[in-house]
Order: sequence, then structure tokens, then C-alpha cells
Amino acid sequence: MVNTAKEIIRFTHVTREYNVGAHVLKAVDDATFSIRDGEFVVILGPSGAGKTTLLNLLGGMDYATSGEIMVDGKNIVALSDDRLAEYRAAHVGFVFQFYNLIPTLTALENIALTKKIVENPIDAREALNLVGLADHANQFPAQLSGGEQQRVSIARAVAKNPTMLLCDEPTGALDSETGTVVLEMLQAMSRGRGKTVIIVTHNAILAEAADKVIRIKNGKIREVTQNPAPKAVSEVNW
Amino acid sequence: MLNRKMLRDMGRHKTQFISIFLMAFLAIFIYTGVGGEWRGLQKSADNFYSETNLADIWLYGNGFTEEQAQAVSDISGVSAAERRLELSAVGDFENTPALKLHFIENGEIAKPYLVEGAAFDKEDPDGIWLDKRFADAHELTPSDKIGFTLNGMKLTKTVRGLVYSSEQVFESGNDTLTPNFADYGYAYLSAKAFPMPETLIYGTLLIKTADAAEPEDKISAALNGKYSVYLEQENHPSISMFANELQQHKMMGDIFPVVFLLITLLTMMTTMTRIVTNQRIQIGTLKAMGFKKGAILRHYVAYGFFLALLGAALGLITGPISLPYLFYPSMSGFYTLPKWQPAYDVSFVLVSIALVSLCTAVSWLACGRLLRDTPADTLRPKAPKIFRHGLLERTKFWQKLGFNAQWNLRDASRNRVRSLMAVIGVFGCTALVVCALSMNNAMGDLKVWQYETINRYESKLTLNEAITPEQTDNVMAAVHGEAIMAGEVEIRANGDKKSASLLVTDNATLIRPTDIHLQPTELPADGVSITRKTANALGVEPGDEIEWHIYGAEGWTQSKIAAIYRDPVNQGLAMTQAHFESLGMVFCPTAILSAEKVTEKMDGVDSVTSTADSAAGWDDLTEAMYIMVYLLIAAASVLSIVVLYNLGLLSFTEMAREMATLKVMGLKSGKLRGLLLTQNLWFSTVGFVLGVPGGLWLTHIITSFSGDEFDFPISLHPAALLISFAFTFGLSVLVNLLFSRKIRRLNMVEALKEIA
Repeated sequence: MVNTAKEIIRFTHVTREYNVGAHVLKAVDDATFSIRDGEFVVILGPSGAGKTTLLNLLGGMDYATSGEIMVDGKNIVALSDDRLAEYRAAHVGFVFQFYNLIPTLTALENIALTKKIVENPIDAREALNLVGLADHANQFPAQLSGGEQQRVSIARAVAKNPTMLLCDEPTGALDSETGTVVLEMLQAMSRGRGKTVIIVTHNAILAEAADKVIRIKNGKIREVTQNPAPKAVSEVNW
Repeated sequence: MLNRKMLRDMGRHKTQFISIFLMAFLAIFIYTGVGGEWRGLQKSADNFYSETNLADIWLYGNGFTEEQAQAVSDISGVSAAERRLELSAVGDFENTPALKLHFIENGEIAKPYLVEGAAFDKEDPDGIWLDKRFADAHELTPSDKIGFTLNGMKLTKTVRGLVYSSEQVFESGNDTLTPNFADYGYAYLSAKAFPMPETLIYGTLLIKTADAAEPEDKISAALNGKYSVYLEQENHPSISMFANELQQHKMMGDIFPVVFLLITLLTMMTTMTRIVTNQRIQIGTLKAMGFKKGAILRHYVAYGFFLALLGAALGLITGPISLPYLFYPSMSGFYTLPKWQPAYDVSFVLVSIALVSLCTAVSWLACGRLLRDTPADTLRPKAPKIFRHGLLERTKFWQKLGFNAQWNLRDASRNRVRSLMAVIGVFGCTALVVCALSMNNAMGDLKVWQYETINRYESKLTLNEAITPEQTDNVMAAVHGEAIMAGEVEIRANGDKKSASLLVTDNATLIRPTDIHLQPTELPADGVSITRKTANALGVEPGDEIEWHIYGAEGWTQSKIAAIYRDPVNQGLAMTQAHFESLGMVFCPTAILSAEKVTEKMDGVDSVTSTADSAAGWDDLTEAMYIMVYLLIAAASVLSIVVLYNLGLLSFTEMAREMATLKVMGLKSGKLRGLLLTQNLWFSTVGFVLGVPGGLWLTHIITSFSGDEFDFPISLHPAALLISFAFTFGLSVLVNLLFSRKIRRLNMVEALKEIA
């Protein structure tokens, strides 16, 4: 399957440096790649390779030291704090390894938070339906299992109706069975609802399910491959 | 949705938020309560003074003529002048009460304030307008007759009205500290009611000035210096006594809210810092979702804002309508005002707004720091601080310390802010308790000092001004008494003038002056002694020269100060009869002291007072002070429990992980509690050691506003020190016990699993 959709994300010579004591650490070093609209992308690499930094840069959570990050025709590198917050609100839905739900809000309320930041979010109940948790609406995060919490977190990300979902090790804290359910859901967001889904993981097996695989090591992009026949998550051999 | 989060967060941190609310409430409650109390009285007194057209200047002399009064009122800067005759009489009652009579020429200045009956009539030869409280004590009402003896003449007048006097807000006879309304009263009569109008001599001139003029020089010139005392309104005994009392309340009302405000801010700071630190990941998540910094900041700042607002509003509403009524009953026992009503002031609202703003600002400060990081940084757990070994840790001494001491020293030095706050909290608590107890001690000491050390007589017989030497000798012989001469003097030194009291004794044994250490002493034979308070006020010391004269006498006497002495209630000069006479003055006894109980009436004796009655009166006077003391102790308890519990909770939460690790390693709960207790006790010790002088200083500040008349012996008895020690450390241990359950229940697995 050849993806003919338009290019939505383009990294051009992006570098992110950290000053660690006396020396400079390049967490992302001269990264250049692009992603098309609706693609299901896996960013692969070992611990400390710079995957999360890459995702943070794309999500407008961190500043690039140099280079250009074009999202939907706009360079986000030069934006101010508040403009970046608006960018995140409109374009980005985050899914974290540890779910990061607000513990004092119920499942439904966590999702309804999106009403505060975007004008036309998907209705919170509908979003909860989408991840199959309609009957857990009034439970607090602590009353839900890890998998359920991650599904609420996906619903929260989707409810904003963002351009892309950015997922940092979304199954890292889950067992393989629950992880499969979560990943299927994420794949469905891409296949069914046309969202660009980008997943950061160190689990190489996931590459088989991705449209595009970006391999990163020591901050450098090693390889960008297009998968001609991505498998469904359920078919991947864990 | 974020508001819901806020409410639930508050629910999770109830203790802290309740204490913030409570402290904010107490700060405003006390400020507006005490403020409403004294402002109400201030307003009532001001109205009272202006409605009765109170004099601005009292001039006393040997008699003012109509021409002289006219000359004074013609001075520019003087708007009116009026003559009056003041005389002491003895009421025709079982208890021979002293009655101060005012014979009035016009009744325009210092008018009596009518409470009941007919208005004052300056033409009425038979009427008398009587002190309402004296009348109540003797069950007199308008149209009753009252008899009294004036300079040996028996007179009877008809009560026309019951009045208050703006010159007698604090009314007390010559000898007692506290008013006894049955023993002393005043009355107004028309000059026409004077038994021999043709011999009437006006000894007092009441003067109203225009604007803020101080026309002493002009008045002196107009009268050729023919007057003995020039008394301005602010120095009038009743007016200054009442003003000093209000000043003292104002001090209390201003100081304590500041303490509570500091505690509110302290608690606010720690609580918000802790919440924001704990919610680091949540804040990162909100940022990742696209919330702007401003929105997140507003969310956290709202915690402080709403709590402070709620507390302040409640304090503002309840303070002025409740606290004043706690003070008024005891205060009305010795002050007389037409109205007892709290007053509001715009500062109540301003201070409340300031408190709310400060609390909001503090939460803003606590949260602002975390929001400066990039969202990516905020989402990462905070990197632990890097600690270096302190100097102490490199010494040999360090090696000798046990694990407990090492652990606590490290913990304290790595959490300096928290440690400092614990010390400040204990310091505040100790200071309040010590202040309360030392005031308690001072009032007790003062009573012993006055009624046991100095005044050793059983009865004091106040002599009539017109007593003959033979009568004096008779009284002396009858009661085996000792004569003293007491009076009012004016002292001049270093360009300052001061009214003070005078005591002349012939080395009496029944009244013993005390030195600066409050020990009985002899008056030096070759010079005058001056009380410490007066000496300080005039800036003089032994060896210096002062000038003085008795009220009523013209000209000045020069004397050398031979010694400094102290007296609790009479500030001024004292000397021996021999020295007094060597200055060319005549010793006229004003009172006879006796070790016997005297009940019979004797010629030439105006009244008899017993030490026991005076001591009882003193207890009444100090009742308002005791209310303050109890209020202080209550405040100190709330304060220390809140501060120590919060800090305990704070350190416990911060240390939960370490505690769990230690527990996993096999340390028993008791040992862990010991760790926390050690730290508490250390901080309590430091706070206590600093708090004792702090509290004494606070007492010093408060008592220094009690007026010129009183000299408070500030001290902290060993028993009181022990009580404050037990109180402070008892609370420390109590708070520690509250944590013992938490330590036992500390879930090792959960505490270690949580991301720091």
C-alpha cells in the first residue's frame, strides 16, 4: 500500500543539545525525516537514544537548539510558550507511559478537561465509548486497572480531535495482552479515523505493524523505512 | 473541571487547608474584633467629649476673678473660658463616701451629660445633678434628697438629674486604684447653690481653645502668672488613662494578627510548595494537553485566594460583633461611657484585602517556579538535589554521633526552610505563652508589691483639707498612726515638664518605698528620690538637678536627685519630712496610716480605706488584662498545634520514602518515631530558647503602653517558665504521637513504588 496522503510533518536538520555540566550532550543530532497525514509511525531505539526528546520536540514540549520542524506548513520551532500551548491544544494528543490522569478527577472528568482548551472537542462520553469504557465514567483513576487508565488517556487525547497522537511507550507499563488492546485502539485511530499516530518504543516487534519505522540511536536517525505491508497489531507475534 | 480538582485537592489536604483558613480567620477576627472594640470606645469617648464641650485646658489657682476669666477668653486662640469651683464633700451615708462637688458658673464648658431627670439649670439653688453610678450604688433617683458635709456644714439638696461626666470616664477617688462607685462620686451644682455665694472663690478655670492653639504664654501673661497648674486635655488623668488603655488594646490588636498572618503565609507557602511539587507530573500533563501557563497558574493560585478570602470574610463578619462584647462588661466596671458599641473602620476591609492578596501572592510564588520549566522537563521526575558533605560531617565528632543524630542533622541541613519554619513556629508559640504568663506574673507581683511590700497598713485615713493640727494629733493618737503627706507636683528638667505625685513621710514603717529591685529601702536624708519611670521620662539620673513645685504653689524649688526608687502606681517624687522642711515648706499631713482596723468616725477624717478593699479593687481592674492573657494562651495553643502538626506532616510526607526504606531494612516503627521526635525536640529547644526572651520583649512592649502611672515589674517566675516549657514540649510530643499511627501504617510497598 503506497501512502499518497500529503506530508504533514517534516524535520529538517533538527538538533537538541543539553548542557550536562561541562560538556554538551546532543540528545537529537541533525534529524531529518517526514511523516504523511494518517500514517501509523513507530520510532524505534534503545534507551537513551533520543526517542522521547524527538517526540517532545514534535509535540511542542521542548525547544530545538537548531533546525526546522514544519507541522502542517508551519514552523513550530520559533513559537512562544503560549503559541506552543495553542499548538499542542489544537494539533497534539499525548499518550504517556504512566497514563498521567489527574487522580482527583473521574474518568469522564479527565476527558471533559479538553472542553477547557479546545472549542469543539468530541463529547467526553462518546470518546469514552470509543475506548469501550462507557460504564466506568464515574470512577477515579485509582479505581481503574492500568489498561483501563491507558484507554481513558487515549480517549482524552482523541477527544481534542487533534491532528496527531503522540504516544511515549504507551504499553510500557502494561502486560502484553492489555498492551495489545491498547495498541489495536491506537492503530484503529490511524486506520479508521485517519489520525497520524506516532509511537515511541524500544520494542522492535511493533515495527511489523507500522506504516513507517524510524530507527534512532545516539541521537542520530539511522534509518527510515516504509513498510509495504503492515500487519494488524493482533497478528504481530509478541 | 479544574475547580472540581481544586476542591478535591483541598479535601485531600484538609489539615493544611483548614489551618490556613483558620489562621486567616483568626488574624482578621482578632484584628477587627479588638479594632472594633477600641475604635468603638474611641468613637464613643470622642462623641462624649465633644457633646459635653470638654475643656481643652484646666487652669488651677487660688481663685480667678471675673475680669481674669474675661481676659483669658479675650486671648486670640482662646474661644471661651469659664470658672468653676471644685470642692470635696462627704456624703451623708453609712460608708462616708467622698463626693466631689462642681459649682458651676455658666455650664457651657465641660457640661454634665444628662442620663435621667431634668437638664442642668445654672439658676437652681436647691438642685444637685448626681453621678449616675454613685446614685445607682446608693439607690438614689431624681427628686430624692441627698445630704452631705461640706467644710463642716451640713447641706441637703434635691437630686434633679443623674449625669455622666466626660472628665470622669475613669473616676477614682484619691486613694484607690479602682473606682468604687459607692465610695466615691461627683456632682454638679449651680454656683447659686453654694451656701455663701458672696464668699465663693472659683479655683478652676476651664478653657476652650480655637483650633490647635497652645496659648500658655498668652494665658500666663494675661493672668500675670497667677495660677499654679496648667493642665492640657491630653494630660488630664481621666482622659490620658482612658487613651492609654485604648492604646494598649490597639497594640494587642495590631501585634497578634501579624503573628497569625505570618503563620498563615508560612502554612500557605509550605502547603502550596508541597502540592505543586507532588503534582509535578499532573502539571506537566496539563501543559502537554495544551493548557497555557496562565491557566495553570490561575488554578493553583485560586487555592490560596479562596481559602484566605473565606477565612478573612468570616473574620470580618464575626470579629466586630463578638470580641468587643467580651471586653465591655469588665471594662465598664471602671470606665464610664454613655455608649458601649463597637465601631467599624475602613482598615478592616483594607487589612482583609491585604491578607487575601498576600496569601494569593504566596501561592503564586510557590507555583511560579515550577511553571518556568519546559513541559518536557516538568513531566520528568525532578532530579534529586546534589548534597555535599557539610564541614561538620568531616570532623571526628561526626563519627561519634549515633545514627539518629547523623540522620537528623543531615535532614535538617538539607531542608533548611522547613527547619527554619519549625523553629519560627515554636518560637511564636513560646513567645505567646511566655508573654501571657509573664503578664500574669506581673499583675500578681504588682499586687504583692503594692499591697504587701510597700503599703503595710491596715487602714488609711484621708484627712480633710481643713483639719486642725489638734485634730490631727487626736487622730494619730487614737489609731496609733503615722502621718504622711501626699500630693501632686509638677517637675521640670531638661526642658520637659511632667505632672507627678509627691510622697513625704517621716520614716514611716507602714509605707516602705522600694528600690529598683523592689526591695524596701530608706529614703535618703539629703535630697529627693524620684521614681524610675519619671526619671526615664525626664532623662535624669542621681546627682542631676530638677525643679518642682506642689500644685497650687507658685514658684519653683530646686532639688538634687539622691536616689531612684520604684513604685507600681504612683510615679513622682518622695522625700523625708526632714528634707521637705529643710526646703522651707510646711509638712501638712494628708493621711494617717494605721495598723489597726478603723471603723469609727473621727473629726477631720474624710474617709477610711482598707488595704483589703483596695486589693479587691485591683482584681477587678485587672480582669480585662486576664481576658487578654487567656486569649493569648488559646491563640498560642492553636498556633503551635497547627504549625507543629503541619510541619510534622510535611516532613513525614517528604520522608515517607526514606522511612519506608528504613522500615524495609528492618528498623522498627518505634525507632522511626524516635527519629521524628528527635528532630521535633531539637527544633522545639531552639525555638523555646529564643521564644523566652521574645515573649518577655512582647510583654515589655505591651506594658510600656499601659500609661505613665503604672510601673509593671516584668518577670517570669520559675514555675511559669516550667509551665511554658512543659506546654511547648508537651505539644511537640503530642504531635509526634499523632504520627505514630501513620508510621505504623506506612505501606512500604506503596511508598516505594510511587514515582518521587
